Amino acid sequence: MSEYVIEIDSLTKIYKAGKTEFKALNNVSIKIRKGDFVAIMGPSGSGKSTLMNIIGCLDRPTAGRIVLDGENISTLSDNELAVIRGKKIGFIFQKFNLIATMNALKNVSLPMVFVGASRGDRDRRAGDLLEKVGLTNWATHKPTELSGGQQQRVAIARALCNNPSIIFADEPTGNLDTKTGEQIMELLVALNKEGKTVLLVTHAISLKRFANRVINMLDGEVTEET
Amino acid sequence: MIRDIFVMSLDAMRSYKVRTFLTLIGVIIGVGSVIMVTTAGNSVSSFVRTQWNVFDPVGMVIGTGTSGVTPQLSIRSVSFTAADVEKIQGLPNIKTVAPLGIVTLKKVSLRNGFLKWESRPGNLMYASTAAILKIFNSELESGTMFEDGKNEIVISKSFSEVFGKDKTLKVGDTIYVQRIDTKTLEAKIVGILKQNTASYMVGSIATPDIICPTTPYYSTYFGSNVGTIFKRVTAYSVLLAEADDITHVQAVQDEVLNYLENGSSDAGQYKDKNTDFVIITQQYIVNRIDQVMSVIRLYITAIALISLIIGGIGIANIMFATVTERTREIGTMMAIGAKRRDILQLFLYQSTIIGLLGGILGIILGIVGSAFVVNLLNSSIQTLGGAISAGGNIGLSYSVEWFVIAAVVGLVIGVFAGVLPARKAAKMDPVVALRYE
Repeated sequence: MSEYVIEIDSLTKIYKAGKTEFKALNNVSIKIRKGDFVAIMGPSGSGKSTLMNIIGCLDRPTAGRIVLDGENISTLSDNELAVIRGKKIGFIFQKFNLIATMNALKNVSLPMVFVGASRGDRDRRAGDLLEKVGLTNWATHKPTELSGGQQQRVAIARALCNNPSIIFADEPTGNLDTKTGEQIMELLVALNKEGKTVLLVTHAISLKRFANRVINMLDGEVTEET
Repeated sequence: MIRDIFVMSLDAMRSYKVRTFLTLIGVIIGVGSVIMVTTAGNSVSSFVRTQWNVFDPVGMVIGTGTSGVTPQLSIRSVSFTAADVEKIQGLPNIKTVAPLGIVTLKKVSLRNGFLKWESRPGNLMYASTAAILKIFNSELESGTMFEDGKNEIVISKSFSEVFGKDKTLKVGDTIYVQRIDTKTLEAKIVGILKQNTASYMVGSIATPDIICPTTPYYSTYFGSNVGTIFKRVTAYSVLLAEADDITHVQAVQDEVLNYLENGSSDAGQYKDKNTDFVIITQQYIVNRIDQVMSVIRLYITAIALISLIIGGIGIANIMFATVTERTREIGTMMAIGAKRRDILQLFLYQSTIIGLLGGILGIILGIVGSAFVVNLLNSSIQTLGGAISAGGNIGLSYSVEWFVIAAVVGLVIGVFAGVLPARKAAKMDPVVALRYE
């Protein structure tokens, strides 16, 4: 097995709107090691979201090759991509994206439903994860009854549910105040220390310091790597 | 996993209680109204059948009129003679034949004179033979049957009170009947009929006020179209007959027609050349009623089914709204590992549950509502009074097959109504769905 958890080779993504074409990614090649904490930065329209969608198996590249955990995902079917998303990737969104009709515990265990885990296993795992993010007492509360920071912690617990190797965080502090944002970032750092590869997509320069590697993007190309 | 997604669907529906409830109502009313309408139709239909159960099943009416798919009987023309009655009685498989002549009365009086308060305007009087009782399924409550040739009559139970309760007619009393030609005849009451169980809707046909022997009361020369008869022959407009067995009804019908049409019968000679011989059996009447009822039922059931379909459109509508509203959640679920099939199931289950639950609750509404509707029909029959009130109540007769049809249609509609919205959800691009505000 390779030392890289993500290998991107000459990735190009072209969006077509009628006759006009828009090159969101232009020949991008990146390799990310296991256990890296990578911040992908850049202004709106730089292609960082597109890159994340493709690495996150939500979208397919127009050209190029992408290997995730040793598996070439460029040519997989919708169902196969869904399985990889469920097992290998944990998503954290800017707007938390919890299911409004479910309580915290059910939200956390939801990814396990789609891999067919039993109810008992799910509840146990979700309980453990809620404890890990310090929300044991909030298990039966619905998202609307939680603060923004609490919601994001539920989302992090959900991202960890199937024990993925990669955590994707798309502007995880964007909807939080500075102090709560710091706490969330510290939680991500802690996960990184446990061995999770963390990919952080942001345009907040202040978050740069949490990453051990920064990839800057502009107009669909990688402009700078540290 | 299917069970988990099913539970998720239930949870989602529980979270949108009002919406789910309102959607359910559409289906409940749809299924309920189909059941109510079919049950009401069924109940009225079987009620009407008992009302028209005038003859015993082997009975038939022989007359003239227009034959064809829907034969019409005319009682205006007279063509059957006593000789015909005898000949038909002699045919195989025939049990009884009775002639039926209508004696048109001007009035009936308690006394032969001018005392108006003891007179009543004309009532329905049938001239026939004793066999008519059997064919009409009637029985004597008291007294005996009249003898032919004597001034004797049998009256109905209701007619016994025609001069008021204080002057109830009894066996042995004598009244006077004045025919339309003003000839007044003495009539001794020898028997009183039992109240007929058939309703008054047809009771006026099946239970005349007075039944009398043809002599001395009946004459073809009164009030009717005599046609080409020049001799003084007693002729009747219809004959009533009975086959000896239910299996022989058709055979008897054929034999009688054959006899009447082969030229040797008096009726064949006397009847208007433009008319045909017509034989109407009990089975024919029942079939006709069933035909009419089933057409009516078809229409009202179709209307009820439309309401069920509208309920289904309600489901589809609300499912589309729900899918659109939950777009970002759908994207989220896809991001955390939901396959398109999972999303499809999630929404399809919701519409199916609504269809199924609506069907079950609709059946309950249908059962309760049908009882209510039949009650309502009965009470409106009571208030209508007169003509149809004496026939008893409409019994509740559930149309069980429609329970199943309505519930299955409700379920199928639920599934179909969910297919398009669920497909819309499942086909979403996760990237687009996640961005949805």
